[in-house]
Amino acid sequence: MKKRVGVFVCQCGTNIEATIDTEKVAEYARKLPGVVYATTYKYMCSDPGQELIRNAISEHQLEQIVVASCSPRMHENTFRKAVVGGGLNGYMFEMVNIREQDSWVHHERVAATKKAEDLVRMGVSKVLRNKPLQVSTIPITKRALVIGGGIAGMQAALDIAEAGHQVVLVEREASIGGKMTQLDKTFPTMDCAA
Amino acid sequence: MVAVAQHPNIELVTYAEVSKISGYIGNFQVQIKKKAKYVDWDACTGCGLCTEKCPTKKLKDEFDLGMGLRPAIHKLFPQAVPGKPYIDAGNCRKLTEDKCGVCEKICPVGAIRFDDQDQYLDYEIGAIVMATGYDLFGWEEAYGEYGYGKYPDVISGLHFERLVSAGGPTQGHIRRPSDGKEPKQVAFIKCVGSRDDTKGKSYCSRACCMYTAKHAYQVKTKIEDSEAYVFYMDVRTAGKNYEEFYQRALNEGATFIRGRVSKIYPKGDKLVLKSEDTLIGRPIEVEVDMVVLATAMVPSQGSLELAKTIGFSTDKDGWYQEAHPKLQPVETFSAGVYLAGACQGPKDIPDSVAQASAAAVKVCGLFSKSELATEPMVSEVDMGKCSGCALCVPICPYNAISLKEIQERGGHGHGPFTRMVAEVNSSLCQGCGACIPACRTAALNLKGYTDEQLVSEVDALCL
Repeated sequence: MKKRVGVFVCQCGTNIEATIDTEKVAEYARKLPGVVYATTYKYMCSDPGQELIRNAISEHQLEQIVVASCSPRMHENTFRKAVVGGGLNGYMFEMVNIREQDSWVHHERVAATKKAEDLVRMGVSKVLRNKPLQVSTIPITKRALVIGGGIAGMQAALDIAEAGHQVVLVEREASIGGKMTQLDKTFPTMDCAA
Repeated sequence: MVAVAQHPNIELVTYAEVSKISGYIGNFQVQIKKKAKYVDWDACTGCGLCTEKCPTKKLKDEFDLGMGLRPAIHKLFPQAVPGKPYIDAGNCRKLTEDKCGVCEKICPVGAIRFDDQDQYLDYEIGAIVMATGYDLFGWEEAYGEYGYGKYPDVISGLHFERLVSAGGPTQGHIRRPSDGKEPKQVAFIKCVGSRDDTKGKSYCSRACCMYTAKHAYQVKTKIEDSEAYVFYMDVRTAGKNYEEFYQRALNEGATFIRGRVSKIYPKGDKLVLKSEDTLIGRPIEVEVDMVVLATAMVPSQGSLELAKTIGFSTDKDGWYQEAHPKLQPVETFSAGVYLAGACQGPKDIPDSVAQASAAAVKVCGLFSKSELATEPMVSEVDMGKCSGCALCVPICPYNAISLKEIQERGGHGHGPFTRMVAEVNSSLCQGCGACIPACRTAALNLKGYTDEQLVSEVDALCL
């Protein structure tokens, strides 16, 4: 595998840019071993941001991608799809969290920028050791189990059943209905509960 | 309720509990324990003759929270779905003393089965919706100042619901439990167990402000010359038409007093509430006939054990933990397990229904595919390094690791032999990495987070 890393530093509007000098981080990234391209953008998760990643992959023959932005819980899937869209294996990608773990928890711009550089350096080092991973598939049994026959369980069971799927609804008591059946009229419409 | 029972795609299993769950998203194996009902529901027509003739009539009715009476063979409530009776085995004279047996003699279709046993049913399941709901906070143990449950006319909001319900023990006439008299002055205390770090829970139970407004409204409209006093910390009416409803209760003449009640004590056949009106900064005392406590919602009994059985997490208060508070509110950290209603946190009816539909859509989305792509960042075993010590097996929170026997060719004077090595079920593994530090021979590695990759990150930072 060739070592051709692309680094994409997100500004997240001012969420990141206010505390971290992203241009400086990109400039630093360009000097890291293996990195052939680095840039910044205002919203990397947006459509033009993803387009930027896809185009850079083909233009610079990138093999590994690092996105320095928010928490992976927020946008790992977004960027993985963009990487796949650019023609790479989705796991030749690392996300570096410079928002929740940097710009949002620090005030001092110089130190926060330095930390972002450290985090990007770690991400680049890791992505160079990434291997393409393959997604496998498993079959799905199309029958749902709903545990609890109160208002929530009944509604979920009905909706799934209406969509044409089998549902097993388990209730601890001898009748469904749950707490709701013990209630008199209900707010704010004062209609009956049973 | 009836729509659920009649739907051809829904199999209703009541008086039953989930006893075992194994497997993973798309492929769960579930065992359900159907408790013995001692009535053959296929034969039973629900005519109700057995309930009428059962001589053991004076049992406290749990559905009416002990305020009414029921026989040993009974429906949970008259409109129960399915509308069939079952025998409360612990209180049936036939089942405990081998006497009586009246129900068996009079049942016109011969549906009584005194030899009924618990049954275990097995199902293949693709997705699970948790909808285990809530219970009410046991205020009797925590709130000594409200009488530890000693005063019969200090009741919970759910007791009040039964009193005011047309199907309740008083047919909807508000009567206080001690002497059956109609109370003229009723006090309501909000946040009993909610928003109370010292005695109860830190959270707001969300529905109480509204049902207390409803209760006060019902007292004012159902009882002539009545007074309804509501003691509150805040009035929270964040819902569509909720503030308007609260105003309706105020317009009916309900008195809202901002203050915590510090003590309730009996005086003759009345109850005296000592409190402070914090808006005018003066201590006050109110004499009433009945007190209704808006008790906190707590997770349903047994819900914690169920979470452990299935293998997903709960929060600090025992509510089921959603995968993300904003972006994945009905998903759990266990793939294929979704949350609906109050099991995730206190909720009122509109929110429960909305969340249930959301969970249903997640299930339908999953079922719209015939195959599911799995996350490849899972644990893998280097069998050459694995010593078969099995330390990783109990550590896995998803029961994804098991031992398997492998054949070795032998050598150095030994013939072929077998040994045990760990095996990871890649469909069950969620890639949490808990097994990695447990592996003493470094045979386990998380794909995408290998030791080599992690060390390279540390090196990049430190060297």
